Amino acid sequence: MLIINNIEKHSEHAVVFPPFRLEVAPGSVVAIHSSTNVRAELMDLFTGAKPVMSGEIISNGEMVHRNNPRYFAETGILFLEDGLYERLKVKEHLDFFLTIYGSTVKLEQLMQIIHLEEKRNVRVSLLSYSEKKRIRYARILIQQPSTVILEEPDQNVDLETKRVFLNIVNMLKQQKTSVVILTANMESALLATESVYRLDHTGLTALDVKPEQEGELVEENGQEEPASVQPVRFEKIPTRVNEKIVLFNPPEIDFIESNEGQSNINVKGDIYPCTFTLNELEQRLLPYGFFRCHRSYIVNLQKVREVVTWTRNSYSLVLDDASQSSIPLSKTKMAELKEMIGLK
Amino acid sequence: MTFSLKRSLAIFRKDYKDVSKNLYVSTTVLMPLILAAVYGRTGVETVEVYFLVFNLTFTMVAAYVQSALIAEEKEKNTLRGLMLSPATTAEILGGKSMLSFLGTLIVLVMCAFFMEYQPGNLLIISVASLISIVFYIGIGTLIGLLTRSVMEASVAILPVAFFFSFVPLVKPFMDEYPILKAVNFFPNLQLIELANQIETGAGWGDSWSAILIILGWTVVITSFVVAVYNRKMVDH
Repeated sequence: MLIINNIEKHSEHAVVFPPFRLEVAPGSVVAIHSSTNVRAELMDLFTGAKPVMSGEIISNGEMVHRNNPRYFAETGILFLEDGLYERLKVKEHLDFFLTIYGSTVKLEQLMQIIHLEEKRNVRVSLLSYSEKKRIRYARILIQQPSTVILEEPDQNVDLETKRVFLNIVNMLKQQKTSVVILTANMESALLATESVYRLDHTGLTALDVKPEQEGELVEENGQEEPASVQPVRFEKIPTRVNEKIVLFNPPEIDFIESNEGQSNINVKGDIYPCTFTLNELEQRLLPYGFFRCHRSYIVNLQKVREVVTWTRNSYSLVLDDASQSSIPLSKTKMAELKEMIGLK
Repeated sequence: MTFSLKRSLAIFRKDYKDVSKNLYVSTTVLMPLILAAVYGRTGVETVEVYFLVFNLTFTMVAAYVQSALIAEEKEKNTLRGLMLSPATTAEILGGKSMLSFLGTLIVLVMCAFFMEYQPGNLLIISVASLISIVFYIGIGTLIGLLTRSVMEASVAILPVAFFFSFVPLVKPFMDEYPILKAVNFFPNLQLIELANQIETGAGWGDSWSAILIILGWTVVITSFVVAVYNRKMVDH
């Protein structure tokens, strides 16, 4: 159980974030989507690096304070940047963690979870970034804390590691751990949980992610739409860059993401704000093979390379663009997509 | 604060595996050994020469290896992980010091063997040396904590190594410049003083003052290390 009670942060004249309250019940996963600046400030508070000026952070009854070892026993923290002993072998490294934490977790089981059994005798320095990240996931499992705080847990990792990560999040859920994910990447937030909050200078707002209901609602719209599809009036999608208006051909567009009501068009890794809403865009782009794969995403199906199934209820689309962006696909949309591509 | 030997030993085992693959640090251990072997062949005349080698062992093995171990934890961002783990300050600092302590001890014994150093009273000189090792490890830890990388630490150790290895050489000038007499109270000179006394047949009664002075320095440096460590804990 993690309770965040009225913490706030000001920096000189600016409000980084106003007071907010958040309770993370045991066994639930919450993602806080924020800018990197806000994330860094939050991490400083969670680790006790900076004192909590007002309000309190309580992890299973223990207040955050740098001199309170019981808080750090209850709280497992995964940093974005964290080192490993690169000259040790994988097995030796995990063994070291196990002894330091006096943990009873089985080494073999652990290596199985993080998919590193085959590399047990490989030096950590020879592992890839993603594999190193998996050793750091293992530390959380070894510690078995009641609250887990993850800073950008799946940034820049490969698909295998994402799968391992989601598996670990599920395990933590079953162990009744409160999990908080701090990320600047909406896709990574949506992948792990449905309770996503956005934290910025205006405060903490819950993102209304209710795939079941939303799905039905949009589905209804979808059924009506084909009837009312009109001859294409616009062939280009206008975006605004500074004072200029840039027009894009629909096939150029990789995907469109909605961010606080603003739709952003992604073309070859660049983002262009568009004046239309996601609903309007969906209608316009439907004839060009675009697909509303999530409440806040429209994807160009031509660019989809892979449909990744994480668990039975969580999917992602991996695109064929330069950065291989992966975007969320909601459960209800999966069926619709299968139909569209001719699978049953 | 309970002290769990298991955790300290885990840190020690990890450091041992780590350093054995780190040639940059492990080869410095050879320096005093080579020097000792050379002196052993040419023959050693005075106690000062023995202690030139011993002091080099203290600074290059105890202080330097220790500072490199601590600085590397900081450089690689692993110290934060240790600090957030259930291991206490005593367990971490104890575990981190074990390797350099044992390493220094082994090198010291080997050097003495190479140079065929036979002190008049082995027990007293051993006690004084053991306390000195702790002092130098304290110096090394301090340098490791105050620098950010192994490179920085190995530069910062140079003046320290120079100071403690070569200060004994100013002894002949002491009569000319009385101010240099203050140097006499440094732990390295106290150790030499002690060794000289022992050669002339001194026992426990005559040597307790030197041992106490060395112990005093060690206590001061250790409390300093703990204070700096706890402050660093805040900064992460």
